[in-house]
Amino acid sequence: MLRPPYEIVLKPYGKALVELARERTDIICLSGDLTRQTETDLFRDALPDRFINVGMAEANMIGIAGGLARAGHTVFVNTFGVFCTRRCYDQVAMAIAYPNLDVKIVGFMPGLSSPGGPSHQAIDDVALMRALPNMTVVDLADAVEISQAVRAVVERRGPVYLRLKRGEIPVVSEASRRFSLHEAQVAKKGREACIVASGMMVPAALVAADVLDANGVSTCVINSPVIKPLDAATIVAAARGARAVVTAENHSVIGGLGSAVAEALAEAGVGVPLRRIGVADVFAESGSREYLFDRYNLGVQNIVDAAWITIAPTKPVPAAPAMPLTAGTYAPV
Amino acid sequence: MQKRARLNGKSPGGCGDGRLRAGAPAPVRVGDLARLATRIRLHAVHMVGIQGFGYLGQALSAAEIFAALYGGGLMRPGWDRFCLSPAHYAVVHYAAAAEVGLLHPEALKSYGRDGTELEAISTERTPLLDLTCGSLAQVISGAIGFALASRYAKDDRRVFALLSDGEMEEGQTWEAAMFAAHHALDRLAVVIDANNSQVDGQVNSVTTLEPLADKWRAFGWRALEVDGHDADALVASMQSTASERKPLVVIGRTQILGGLKSVPATADGHFLKLDPALKAAVIAELEARLA
Repeated sequence: MLRPPYEIVLKPYGKALVELARERTDIICLSGDLTRQTETDLFRDALPDRFINVGMAEANMIGIAGGLARAGHTVFVNTFGVFCTRRCYDQVAMAIAYPNLDVKIVGFMPGLSSPGGPSHQAIDDVALMRALPNMTVVDLADAVEISQAVRAVVERRGPVYLRLKRGEIPVVSEASRRFSLHEAQVAKKGREACIVASGMMVPAALVAADVLDANGVSTCVINSPVIKPLDAATIVAAARGARAVVTAENHSVIGGLGSAVAEALAEAGVGVPLRRIGVADVFAESGSREYLFDRYNLGVQNIVDAAWITIAPTKPVPAAPAMPLTAGTYAPV
Repeated sequence: MQKRARLNGKSPGGCGDGRLRAGAPAPVRVGDLARLATRIRLHAVHMVGIQGFGYLGQALSAAEIFAALYGGGLMRPGWDRFCLSPAHYAVVHYAAAAEVGLLHPEALKSYGRDGTELEAISTERTPLLDLTCGSLAQVISGAIGFALASRYAKDDRRVFALLSDGEMEEGQTWEAAMFAAHHALDRLAVVIDANNSQVDGQVNSVTTLEPLADKWRAFGWRALEVDGHDADALVASMQSTASERKPLVVIGRTQILGGLKSVPATADGHFLKLDPALKAAVIAELEARLA
């Protein structure tokens, strides 16, 4: 995978969905009054007959999606992550997950990437969706993966929660990357420390691994965009023999990637110390992405600290490089 | 058990099979709907009587509504959609389905028992329903999804959804009502069993739903109010047409105990206890009506 600063692209999801829907006439696109924000203005303008703005009524939107899917459609439901999970959990459970329908729930603005405060910050969406039988959970913040994931989630029958970064989407993967719903990606090899990351924390994990490597701790990075079903085999293989495993997610440390990895390691009998980087079971506040990721310990330095303190507690912790943001690019905090 | 095409999403991708069919089957017509309703009640009493308690009030109040829907020539089996919102009404669904030949009457004996396909609260496993949900007020949104799908498929299916009055306390009902009217879903027909009963007692002691018809009209629906124990009137109202393209709601005013004299007026209609003496009295009253 590439290193920052990253080139950014706009609307990779919206473009991929229109492209696929031209081919797959069964696709219907629903929006909950957040059309431009979910990149589905492209769908609305290109394929207006198959676009429905349900308005600010997420419970109803999920139910309608279920009815359309029962009648044979593949339905994309688009809104912010908080509104399609926390707000209408019972509807997602009963109208989509339980009947195992072809509804793809696309939740934008993951974790602390929203300046909107706790009402807009999806810090528990992965945990909620992961708890539902039949649901596949995918956390993406890379334009290359997003472009491929739209087709992949349609080809996988059944409900999917697709968690996407909103706005400027970095190009983190090489063009040769092939996104898979079944396999996590060994983005970097290493033996002593193992970082498992998803979504917006992948860039920070890559930089942290480079810092650890440069200071004598050989570190691997597993990019695990699919949190359920987790590719436990790849993660367990990478963790076995390591001295520290660090998970990094833009989500609560409860119920998301960190929990899934902990379960996988424990069940495999891999007794490696585990540190979870994520939102530490708190509601955050309003602020910029840079401010919030720094304040709530979602930065490169936090990942370096977690691995270093576990492996070499008596030695001074190496410092992460400063990564100033320049216009038109993206970098981790 | 004889089954109509399963349209309740058990197979991945739901029930797209039906819209590929060239023609729709004929609806079921039963000559005497009042008699059909009595037979539905009788089945329900026997089913609930096995355990001595259960959701009998739902069958007593909605027997004519189910007689109208299943035997009134309204629904073409396997073609038109039937969505049962209050899953506690499964008992009356089974009883009516058996009466019109969609279920084997022997199967009714397994109602509510462990391992049965005829669960007391209907689920995704329940036969012959296009949609149901024990978490109330969700089904109307799914019915809207069916109506939209028919519009996309350019077919002539109607979508019938049975709702109870208590679930109108849930906000999703009104989200859905606004949406259906905005999109002029005139193939959608909602029928409400307005029996003024919910778990904690009379609906109007818990909250004020009235004026119910005016509420639906204000949300853009064509609303008709009928005696919910007059099956012919229910059929006529659900067959009625209008020049305006609006979804239809038929409010059937009913009594939770279905007007049975043998059941004490103080009985809990939502979850009726039926001891052997009461069961015998109710059966005698119903059988006298059939004599």
